[in-house]
Amino acid sequence: MPVLSILIVLPLVGAIVVGLLPRHRTELVYPIALAMSIPPLAAALHILWYFNAGDASFQFGEHIVLVESFGISWTLAVDGISLFMVVLTALLFPISIAASHSITDRAKTYMVLMLILETGVLGVFLSLDLFVFFAFFEIVLIPMYLLISMWGSENRAYASLKFVLFTAVGSAFLLASIVALGVLTGEQLGTLVNFDFRNMLSVEFSSTTELALFVGFAIAFAIKIPLFPFHTWLPDAHTEAPTAGSVILAGVLLKMGTYGFLRFNLTLFPQAAVDLAIPLAILGVIGIVYGAAVAIVQPDIKRLIAYSSVSHMGFIVLGTFALTTQGLSGSVVLMISHGLTTGALFLLIGMVYERTHTRKIADYGGLAKVMPVYAGIFLFSAFASAGLPGLSGFIGEFTILIGAYLSLPVLTIIAGSGVILAAIYLLWAYERVFTGPVTNSKLEGLKDLGFREVAILAPLIVLIIGIGVYPKPVFDRVEPSVEIILDRIEAETEFEVPEFARVSDLVDIDYEAEREVSDHDDGEEG
Amino acid sequence: MQNASFLPVAFEVIQLAGALLVLLVGVIAGKQRRVWAPIAGVTFLASAGAGVLQWRAVSEGSGGFFFSTQELEIMRSPMVVMDGLSAFAAIVLGLVGFVALLGSWDLVASLGKRSSEFVALTLLAVAGLHMMTVTPNLVVIFIGLETASISFYVLAGFIRGSRKSDESALKYFLLGSLASAMFLYGVALTFAATGSLSIYGVNSIRDFFSITIITEPGILLAGLALMFVGLFFKISAAPFHQWAPDVYQGAPSGAVGLMAAGVKIAGFAALARIFIGGFVSQTDVWVPIVAVVAAISMIVGTTMALVQTDLKRLLAYSGVAHSGYLLAAMVGGIRGIPPMWFYVSTYAFMIVGAFTIVSVVCGPASTAAPIDSFKGLAKRSPEMGWLLAIIMFGMSGMPFFAGFVGKVFAFVVAGEAGYMWLVVIGTLTTVVGFAFYLRVVSGIFSSGDDDDREIDPSLSARFAIVISAVATVLFGIVPWPLLDVVREALPF
Repeated sequence: MPVLSILIVLPLVGAIVVGLLPRHRTELVYPIALAMSIPPLAAALHILWYFNAGDASFQFGEHIVLVESFGISWTLAVDGISLFMVVLTALLFPISIAASHSITDRAKTYMVLMLILETGVLGVFLSLDLFVFFAFFEIVLIPMYLLISMWGSENRAYASLKFVLFTAVGSAFLLASIVALGVLTGEQLGTLVNFDFRNMLSVEFSSTTELALFVGFAIAFAIKIPLFPFHTWLPDAHTEAPTAGSVILAGVLLKMGTYGFLRFNLTLFPQAAVDLAIPLAILGVIGIVYGAAVAIVQPDIKRLIAYSSVSHMGFIVLGTFALTTQGLSGSVVLMISHGLTTGALFLLIGMVYERTHTRKIADYGGLAKVMPVYAGIFLFSAFASAGLPGLSGFIGEFTILIGAYLSLPVLTIIAGSGVILAAIYLLWAYERVFTGPVTNSKLEGLKDLGFREVAILAPLIVLIIGIGVYPKPVFDRVEPSVEIILDRIEAETEFEVPEFARVSDLVDIDYEAEREVSDHDDGEEG
Repeated sequence: MQNASFLPVAFEVIQLAGALLVLLVGVIAGKQRRVWAPIAGVTFLASAGAGVLQWRAVSEGSGGFFFSTQELEIMRSPMVVMDGLSAFAAIVLGLVGFVALLGSWDLVASLGKRSSEFVALTLLAVAGLHMMTVTPNLVVIFIGLETASISFYVLAGFIRGSRKSDESALKYFLLGSLASAMFLYGVALTFAATGSLSIYGVNSIRDFFSITIITEPGILLAGLALMFVGLFFKISAAPFHQWAPDVYQGAPSGAVGLMAAGVKIAGFAALARIFIGGFVSQTDVWVPIVAVVAAISMIVGTTMALVQTDLKRLLAYSGVAHSGYLLAAMVGGIRGIPPMWFYVSTYAFMIVGAFTIVSVVCGPASTAAPIDSFKGLAKRSPEMGWLLAIIMFGMSGMPFFAGFVGKVFAFVVAGEAGYMWLVVIGTLTTVVGFAFYLRVVSGIFSSGDDDDREIDPSLSARFAIVISAVATVLFGIVPWPLLDVVREALPF
């Protein structure tokens, strides 16, 4: 059964169903759209359940040739890296749709766009044919553009256009590189062009070509992430987007960039990745510190979270270009965690915004007295985002820092300050918004979170704790895929992946016994 | 006897018969356009049907050369060739002509007594356009070019009394005649250099230069260059594009669709036939020229489109950029023809749809179409708003719309030919293109201020727009069937 194709098509079917609803039955739009976002989640959980942990190869593979003369095929598969991106996507969409209850203006169009967006994002994470990958990578722009420009706040026209143009500039380089790569692959296979990722692995490049292609891919992904100094579109887009748009943007769209680095840049161009690892890691670290520092002084709470994303994404880039097992798998875990925690924070801000229609921190104060449940969940999410031990953010950041210290100790020490700065900007924001006396009379008498709102947040809270306490199932699935990438880098280049000194290196003991020790260590990190 | 075969020229014969019939009936029936309305529609569909029959004949192997002037094999000079290229051009031109006529029906309806002339000219123009694609003889190509051009000069100035329209027609006529003259001079020089009017040289059958002795290679190059200039002008490739924005803006909105779409289809088919089909041996000479013109067109078209405030001018400049992408496909030689076909045929539908919407919103006889008048279009008519948005996405080259497939395949063949710099320019100008297409889209969905009049397009206009939008989406999501077809649409 072509599970992955079904997964991609399901939201599209949902979009068509919602689109065909009669115009005057507006009350049906929300429940049906929500119902239509559940089957993709079920399909994603099916894949998660039957995914063979410990197996590094691509699973659930599908391969249909679409255009033979141009070497284009419908090739889908998941591995440990894309698996969790797919599940995260399938989870965040029902939650965002559920949180869009207050959208009444052109609700049908809104829901259709959301579901189309989900198809696009799933396609990005599942495609292994670069032509199809690019098509999905680019199509995501349209629904997101329309979501921001039609349902955003005051400055939406500017923000949405900036978002599209920034990312599209990256796409231009990506497309040119993909075309060149396809032609090169075709030449070496003896056909004309070929866009199959697996065929590209055997292509030999000259070092300049490899560097040029790496840079082409890297620009696109760096803008998407966004890596400092390409981040300026993000605060605008995040701030102006409707709540669900911000959740999806931060939760999954940014991950398309970091996923692209792992899947394409590191795997296809190992030599260039090794050569450029340090500059990119430096940009990541600048992003960590800069994003956090700017977040501290933001007067707008949504903008604050947006800049915190810049900081967290910097961690992911640092982990990726540390080129160690811990760094890479930590990056994947932080991608998941960032999706959950930032998603929760944007949802929370959206919920209070619906009540007060202001995002200015200065307009708040003493909110904890009025909305105690809300304050509690907000504090929890803020802690998770700041990396409190026992919650998911900690697992990701800590593993990245361990992994990065092996290869880039100085940068890692600087990056460590990001964790402290995160605590500062989040807790200071919490203090200004929630503690003290109620300063703004508008806040009095606000209703606390209702059952529906808590229910929307509950899955995120459970997962944040779950991954924080017991991350082993995640690591078990991520690590083999990550190690394949590193093995390839070691085989193709002179780079040696630094690892922790093994006991067996020091004393001559049984390797199996040592293996158990390291498993035990993973468990203890939680 | 093969020479008396009707099928290879069926398209032209049907179109001419239809045009004459429309004129005759127009005189007899006067204002009652209903009488001859079906004639024009049936003519276009019959022509497209003839194209399908030609296609079938070609795939069964009975295509080839017809109407030769000499019996002697070595000297024969065929006037007509029936192959994948001409058959596919017939199908596309017939269908696009049909849709464009539907789109301009509001204009036709407003013309009163002169409407039959308008329709007859449309039919004649399309006949001329197809004639450009169906012959290996350079003079016949020129005759087709002039038939189409003269019809279009008249159509551009059809609204008498409108100064803009007059200016547009005069400008088109003067500049267009100059371009035609250049093309003709190029033909003459080619004849001087090779002793033949056929693109295949004196042998007239494919392997041109194996037999033809070029006494004056310099003169041949000059001839090729002049022919290029003539055709570049017609397809509005930069730097020969200056007429396009003025003419598009000045001509009545209802008439521009066919002008823009038809000339591109025929112009590129003719370019493909002459240069890829005929002058293969001169590839090293003309490919760099095409690549440079492609790059200039992309850059100039995109940059100028950015600053336009009128949708018709914007579409004209974006058409310049689209010519650039199409020329990028031609850089790949024979391999570039299928992407070129895919691109130009989907683009033709999009541009017809776009101009039909312009004529619906601004009026069929309107000349100016400020982008501001499309503000809040989605509120005035959600259907029109979305359809225009779809067409804009299609033109901008977003994935899952037809423009993307054509564009990327054009880039791929250009990359294969070693023109990576052209690919990079192409992808970058595509991005810049998003800026002006999205400006239109965000206008559509913004809250329009003063104008709240409901828009109620006529049935025929609505039909034309829906067909264009459906084609844009359909060939974007499932391009494979069309791609399979265009793979065979090659010159003989």
